[in-house]
Amino acid sequence: MSKERSRNQKLIRAPADLVSKLNEAANREGKTFYNYVSEIFEQAVRAYEMNHSLKEIIDNYEILEVHKEAGAIFTPRDILDHLIKKTYQEDGKSLQQLWYQTGKWYGIYLKEKFEDSLQAFHHLLKEGRWDLNQVFMKRNQKTIEFRCVSAFISQERTMLIKKFIEGAMHSLGYKTQETECFKGIIRLKFSP
Amino acid sequence: MKRKLLAARLDLADKISEIASRKGTLYDYVNDILEQAIRAEELGIRLKEVLDDRWLIKTARDAGFIVIPKKIICELAEQAYAKLGKKKMKKLWYETGQWYGKYYDDLKEFEKAVKRYFWDLSEFKLAKKGENLTLTCLSSKYSEVYPELFSKFLEGALNALGYSLEEGEVSKGIISLRFSKSKGK
Repeated sequence: MSKERSRNQKLIRAPADLVSKLNEAANREGKTFYNYVSEIFEQAVRAYEMNHSLKEIIDNYEILEVHKEAGAIFTPRDILDHLIKKTYQEDGKSLQQLWYQTGKWYGIYLKEKFEDSLQAFHHLLKEGRWDLNQVFMKRNQKTIEFRCVSAFISQERTMLIKKFIEGAMHSLGYKTQETECFKGIIRLKFSP
Repeated sequence: MKRKLLAARLDLADKISEIASRKGTLYDYVNDILEQAIRAEELGIRLKEVLDDRWLIKTARDAGFIVIPKKIICELAEQAYAKLGKKKMKKLWYETGQWYGKYYDDLKEFEKAVKRYFWDLSEFKLAKKGENLTLTCLSSKYSEVYPELFSKFLEGALNALGYSLEEGEVSKGIISLRFSKSKGK
């Protein structure tokens, strides 16, 4: 290694098994280990500047993949709210059923894809871009509780998200114990 | 646990050390980073793409988009179409498109946004020739109503960007529209 080059480098201690694995990955991609590690560190710094860890960002990426697999698309929020408002009054039951069935599909998919499908579902609700400001999940041996809060979703959308959660949880093998739904607030309790 | 030394670019190593000092030890922080890099590798994705996607979601949210299963939005659109009638529904999508046209305020930016956020489209192309503009959009044959409404959304956006619709063809899965530069724009 030339002196000039070594002046621009620093040695960092890391677990040997991880270094070996990354070395193999760099070889597969036809990159030098040094360049490969630089790319990783660049992204770690970028993640930090976005106020996230790489773990959080990869978790979110996996959730976005769930949406893609489910055939979800980005839609203007105003259109969604308008459509719900106009159709809910006359046909609220069938809309609820549609969201329930969609939730069931997500539940089945999460069960297949994630080891801890319940945690993945919690993450999906938090990061699902459904305007939920807070999503709490309390897990104990006998029950699972969800509490979702949003400052600005309509009564109708609140009800539909509640049905979605129920659908997913039923697919994950839980039964509804208690439900409470108020504009922007959902509280659900499930048992195994 | 066995340890190895890895050579890192000086500026990055310094930055990583600085961040680590706020979080704990450098060793633990580097360990976390490398573990996630391996996780990404095992998922078959590149860290850069993952971070780009994260940015995409943020900008989508800022622009007022929401992720929703297409089945739901198509079903809602069809129900509302039957109840409210063609005219009102088309107006809603057209006006929303106008808002986005004004929001992006640039043809290229709007094209980029459509390609990014409507990932169900297998093709979206805007071809400019002099004063004329041709829009081609291909997607899965999911619904009859949705492409009609989506075409109004696109028309509204392009109208706000200074183009008037000359002619168009919309069928299941295909939207083909031809525009000309609006007078005075």
